[in-house]
Amino acid sequence: MKEVIDWQGYLAMFDEDALMIQSPFTLDGSIAFGSDSDYTTMAIAGLQLLFSRGIDITSVRSLPLVNTHAVKAATGVEVMSDEENDTPCEWNLLVGEEATLVFTNNLERDLAFHGPADLEALDPTFAEDMAAAWNRELESTHVSQGAYVSESAYREGANARLGLLAQHSGDALVWPPRQLDKHGERIPTANQALMARAKVESWTKLSAAGAPSEFALRAPVLGGIQTVFVQFEQGPRGVFLVADDAEYDPSIGDQVSFVVRRIYAQEGLIRYGMKAIPTN
Amino acid sequence: MVDVAVIGAGQTKYGNHPSGLKGMWAEAAEQAFASVDMDFEPRCVDEAFIGSVAFGGGQLGNTAALLTEHSGMEGIPVRRVENACASSGFALRDAWMAIKSGQADVVIAGGIEKMNDLSPERRRFWLGVSGDTEWERLAGLTFPGTYALMARRHFHEHGSNHDDLVNISVKNHMHGFENEMAHIRKEVSFEKAQSGFMVADPLTLYDCCPTSDGASAVILAADHVVRQFTDDPVWLRSSGAGSDYLALHDRPSITQVKATQQASAAAYKAAGITAKDVDLAEVHDCFTIAELMATEDLGFAQHGEGGLFAREQRGVRNQGDVCINPSGGLKSKGHPLGATGTGQAVEVFKQLRGSVEKARQIRDAEIGITHNVGGSGATCAVHVFGRDRA
Repeated sequence: MKEVIDWQGYLAMFDEDALMIQSPFTLDGSIAFGSDSDYTTMAIAGLQLLFSRGIDITSVRSLPLVNTHAVKAATGVEVMSDEENDTPCEWNLLVGEEATLVFTNNLERDLAFHGPADLEALDPTFAEDMAAAWNRELESTHVSQGAYVSESAYREGANARLGLLAQHSGDALVWPPRQLDKHGERIPTANQALMARAKVESWTKLSAAGAPSEFALRAPVLGGIQTVFVQFEQGPRGVFLVADDAEYDPSIGDQVSFVVRRIYAQEGLIRYGMKAIPTN
Repeated sequence: MVDVAVIGAGQTKYGNHPSGLKGMWAEAAEQAFASVDMDFEPRCVDEAFIGSVAFGGGQLGNTAALLTEHSGMEGIPVRRVENACASSGFALRDAWMAIKSGQADVVIAGGIEKMNDLSPERRRFWLGVSGDTEWERLAGLTFPGTYALMARRHFHEHGSNHDDLVNISVKNHMHGFENEMAHIRKEVSFEKAQSGFMVADPLTLYDCCPTSDGASAVILAADHVVRQFTDDPVWLRSSGAGSDYLALHDRPSITQVKATQQASAAAYKAAGITAKDVDLAEVHDCFTIAELMATEDLGFAQHGEGGLFAREQRGVRNQGDVCINPSGGLKSKGHPLGATGTGQAVEVFKQLRGSVEKARQIRDAEIGITHNVGGSGATCAVHVFGRDRA
């Protein structure tokens, strides 16, 4: 193992032709996901780390434990299943039994990575309550009350939500996406990625009792939900949840960066999005 | 151009109302009809505009036809008006325009919301329904959260603080204490309001309006028919309206509400007044920070000085420059979303006619305004009322 780095709230380990990424938490002696992470969020983090090291990937082969739509929207990378063997893929995404993933372009090699020993133990009661809340959310009969974002609306906004893609409108960047401008002209499709760093302009922590129904099952376990209002370096502003595992008390003026995490589940579909974490 | 007068107004008590939609609306309409000085019957009404947001999901379609059917006005042109919490403020504007345009002589504008009849499983229905659902709500924001973001930013930019909000809460509870129609008739001490349960940091329970049932109605008449109904009309001198981006993140500033600035500027100009001429203002204080910002956007305080305005008690009844929320506002009187705008007009009508409870009466009031906001400021209607026609 050449190096272990903290990356988007996960631990990543490089080798010559492989990247292992794992959760920093343990539960009952096993590596375990944090409360809003899963294989999909770790796969996206891993791909973004590979990109940051100049490695160009357009497709990976993986078992169906990864949400292909979310990965594509966040990174542009196609995730191929084992059934699509005819399609050439240079990289493979191997899912571990615990909360670990390996990206490799050499399946012949020994992939016995060993992560750091000093992982953070999750509180078993918290982990159990959070898992139960997610399981209830994931039931197909679990629906929102009042306002509702349909699956098609979620998918339509996925590139902007997961890839932070902004539109060019005159000299300005527009994000989240908008339809027509003041001249009645259609604003071009989003194609400019915002820098995933922004400055906190305001923040709040909402009590569990006041959480919208999408968060009503998990907010009591988390002790409320925290939101930051930020401005990106390129101009646009937005509101984001703080990642569940981020130990962070925001202040105005802080710099934050963004990671993909689970937002909520509804009608059997997990909806992913960006959440804020403090920038080291 | 036709001038428009208010000839009658009525409302239910706000709070946990025992009646359903039909009963609540009938009660408000009945009160409004009865408040007209000379004989008035429902069949005098040419057209109706009724605001509501959602009724907890029930009777979303053809609401106005159902309600007019149960208040003796079946057969007239009706429609439901929806602009979130500003629904009946815009119903009032539509009614005013119907008379101004010459299409109608007598129009009823009202609003209604039944919020407290939802089961515990459905109670979150109301949270965040009028924000930008796709981008704000999915960042965990409901309106307490949205207004909390505004409050914290206002504190940062202008040096206001939570004690300023506490002053607003204490004032509005004091104003509402004697209001027989108010949801929460309870005075609150500064210390108690200061240490309330945290709802959305920095806003506590005492910064937030209650969830109320209620209905309200006002009857408008064209100048050429007013004297058939009253010798003591209150003139609806102007109506102004504005809108802004739905989501906070799309607005250039989150410490100002552009829709309020637009609406009040238009209403003041049309009425030929300035903010200094206003004796009382029913202001949309869904959260105390909303009132603080509104005192700036409506021109009662300079931008950034809303905190100072509250600290110096300049909105207190018969004490400050202008009485802000003589009814107790949304904070104390209550906030049955769709009913709030015309409920504000009921208060101004009664204040200008000297017919509220004696302890609440504003001395020598000549001009009053209503300020009704939808969502976190996406829509706003401001109306100017006067004892004099112009």
